[in-house]
Amino acid sequence: MANPADAARPSRRVFMKAGAGVGLGLLGAPYVARAEEPVLNITGWGGKWGDVMSAEIGPAFEKEFECRLRTDTALPFLPKLQASSHSAPIYDVLHTNSNEQWAAAGMGLVEPRIDARLVPNLADVYPYAVSDKIVGVSIFTSAIGLGMRTDKGYTGINSWKELWDRKYDGARGGYVIPVNSLGQCFLMMCGTLFGRGQTDLDAAYAALEKLKPIKLVDFTGAMEKMLLSGEVGLAVIHDSGIYRYDGQNQPIDFVAPSEGVLSLEQVLTITPGSKVKELANAYVNYMLRPDVQKRLAETVWYSPANKTVKLDAKYDAKLLTTPDKVSKLIQVDWKWYNERKDEIDSRVNRIFRA
Amino acid sequence: MRTSLSEAPAERLPATALKSATAAPLRFGHALYLATNIAILIFLLAPIAIVVVFALNPAPFIQFPPTGVSLRWFEKFFASREFMHALVFSLEVAMLTTVCATLLGASAALAIARGNLPGARLVLATMLSPLMLPAILTGLALFQSYVLLDVGRPLWGLVAGHTLVTIPYVVRTTLAVLHNFDTRLEEAARNLGASPTRTFFEVTLPLIKPGVMAGAIFAFIVSFDQFPVSLFLVTPGSETLPITLFNYLKFDLDGTIGAASVVSILLAFLVVVALDRTVGLRSYVKL
Amino acid sequence: MSPAAQRPNGLALFIVPSALLFTLFFFLPIGLMAVMSLLTGNPVVMPHVAFTTRHYARIVNDPYYLEVIWTTLRIGLLTTGLALLIGYPLAHWMARIRSRAGHALLLMAVLAPMLTGIVVRTFAWMTLLSDKGVINQVLISAGLTTKPLQLMYNETGIVIGLVHIYVPFMVLTLTGVIGRIDERLEQAAENLGASPLRAFVEVTLPLSLPGILAGSLLVFALAISAYVTPILLGGFQIMTLPILIYQQISANFNIGFAAALGMMLLVISLVLVLLYNRVLGLVAGQPELQ
Repeated sequence: MANPADAARPSRRVFMKAGAGVGLGLLGAPYVARAEEPVLNITGWGGKWGDVMSAEIGPAFEKEFECRLRTDTALPFLPKLQASSHSAPIYDVLHTNSNEQWAAAGMGLVEPRIDARLVPNLADVYPYAVSDKIVGVSIFTSAIGLGMRTDKGYTGINSWKELWDRKYDGARGGYVIPVNSLGQCFLMMCGTLFGRGQTDLDAAYAALEKLKPIKLVDFTGAMEKMLLSGEVGLAVIHDSGIYRYDGQNQPIDFVAPSEGVLSLEQVLTITPGSKVKELANAYVNYMLRPDVQKRLAETVWYSPANKTVKLDAKYDAKLLTTPDKVSKLIQVDWKWYNERKDEIDSRVNRIFRA
Repeated sequence: MRTSLSEAPAERLPATALKSATAAPLRFGHALYLATNIAILIFLLAPIAIVVVFALNPAPFIQFPPTGVSLRWFEKFFASREFMHALVFSLEVAMLTTVCATLLGASAALAIARGNLPGARLVLATMLSPLMLPAILTGLALFQSYVLLDVGRPLWGLVAGHTLVTIPYVVRTTLAVLHNFDTRLEEAARNLGASPTRTFFEVTLPLIKPGVMAGAIFAFIVSFDQFPVSLFLVTPGSETLPITLFNYLKFDLDGTIGAASVVSILLAFLVVVALDRTVGLRSYVKL
Repeated sequence: MSPAAQRPNGLALFIVPSALLFTLFFFLPIGLMAVMSLLTGNPVVMPHVAFTTRHYARIVNDPYYLEVIWTTLRIGLLTTGLALLIGYPLAHWMARIRSRAGHALLLMAVLAPMLTGIVVRTFAWMTLLSDKGVINQVLISAGLTTKPLQLMYNETGIVIGLVHIYVPFMVLTLTGVIGRIDERLEQAAENLGASPLRAFVEVTLPLSLPGILAGSLLVFALAISAYVTPILLGGFQIMTLPILIYQQISANFNIGFAAALGMMLLVISLVLVLLYNRVLGLVAGQPELQ
């Protein structure tokens, strides 16, 4: 090198250019990365579930799978999915209860079966989670039974039929059957309690007539609040709705009636037209991971579907975490129910009018 | 030498002896009038007081009497990314909607009242019809149409829906002013040599401003509070406040919604006051 | 001022922007809904759909749906009547009050309910009217009643809630019109010997009819389309048309039937509006009140 400055100048220029290039690249990288990041559209509940999903589980999933998770919490989900085209569905994964999943499957909006090869954790779930009463896979469940106030002197409640006792007039709580799966399960239970079985609609209707006066809500959150404020004293509710107030010293308790508890499943399915099927399956698999299951189960008091999950003692005591406990869950025939839903709803609307 | 009744200052005509004979029943009537109105005001404001109490009560459900004062719900509200985003988004949508609805609605009202439109009655009924149809159907119809056209659920789609359901207010209030309008003012202006255009901008428009502003206020409030049309047209991450609140209510019936409401009232007041200062609701006051 | 035989002038063009908005965003989508009400399914997502009148037949043949329609209209009429009764005195005060500060305060008081938001407002009424709510707690602790009064879970609660929401609309519509009535007309009547009451009934009231019409139509239309308030305050046991429509969309996925119900509501309300317009116009001595 004759002149070190000469040699330095071009390399300085090169360095500047390289530096600028790297700088721009760094600035632009997030945009570039975001533009290429796949988006997974899912649905989800609000409340405590939504809080823990958006704070922990969601971001962890996004980080591991380098994607963006968009969660719709604005109910109702199915009409929106129904109105969107099959080739460009607004959701990739649909999370809702069994009844709606069956309706969705019936309309061809979701795939009825999850591929076990793409979702390996499927091998670890309880039989109920993939039974013939389920489309997709159930990732959690809760038990539908009776919730009661402990400060009203109610004793000896161990049967569903207690709800019909006249002494609960003015304190009884139930669900709007057309829109709520707990209500629908309860209707079928009425058929079992007072008739030949889940499909005995006439017995169910007669029983519902006798249930009035009753206060109705459309969602479990509202039922929880009615119990907390004392607006109702004995109500149909799932165990999660009572147990999640554990530690808050609330005068409420859950009763698993002797005739059996019904299963309220949290079910995931994948839409056939999804453009990110691999990611969707990865999400389903992720939600079945023991550590994710444990975190969610302990936050909202759901019973995990993965049988290898070990919950802390106080959760383990109350939730359904053994094959024996789980086998007591009553699953209903949603296919049968959905076929008759219109006429059932017409009838029930007529029964429950003030 | 008839002075225009609308223009002369509101002087009271001299009272006659006849009036003093009716003084006692007058005072009772007046007291009754005031009492009735105070009662009505209490009816209007009591629930708001309840909302404020609930926003400050620490219990996470409906509880009366309240057990204390706590700012936890306000904290929760402001800490919630969802609520904050929804609040800002609602304000944006409401602003856009107000501008569109005011411009379109006021001009439509002028056309209906003064434009000698064939079938003006039918046109008016049509302009008011978005109110007649359950807004949820309007929202669903729009959603279905957007899906058909493959445009997704864009912001302009939401604003269009909101504008549809707020235009009737602007039309209604502007027409109410136009109906009682003293056209002799315009005649006077034209007699003094102003062109029709000038008369329009310097006489007509200022005089209908109270009606238009009332409509604009309605449009803002209705849009900010809109629920059914928004239901199908919002996307995750871009939700309006009423939607977020309603969904929240399904899971958590606690004081956060009270806090949200208190904040909404204060914010909306600011907007109304700002409208007053800039565009002048004073003219609305000074009839 | 009868514009009957005059040709459209330049101002007529001002309707064009609104006409465009309405055509694109209202008529076409609503037309789509009307078409959907005559189809067996959603053509966007279902391959084979056919025309059918079964949705309308279902409504007309079943007394339950007629009952739902009547409930909706009844609630609408009650709400409108009460809102008018309550709103008029307040509108009158607001229009006649002399102090600017007073007017501003009244305006804020009237606007405040509207600004709380529909969800929260309804929720506040639930706090007041429920069995464990404020009113019942006060009554029970004052010993005036032993069992809680059923102030909600019925039509009463719905009407109270709706009236509360819509009185501000009524007041704001009326106050402008009343304000524009020259007070000296009333004073002239009083000086001629009429009592203030008579002056009101024979001078002010007739002159405020356009406002009454506008306000009533507005409140009625809103009341029959209400969803949030009736569903929450009726305790889900009063079925109105909007609630049924929403249920059909969200829980039964029957877009066609929901659309048919919506069309029924639209037609009925339009008929009622035209009737009301005509009747009030006759009362006011004009063929039509705009």
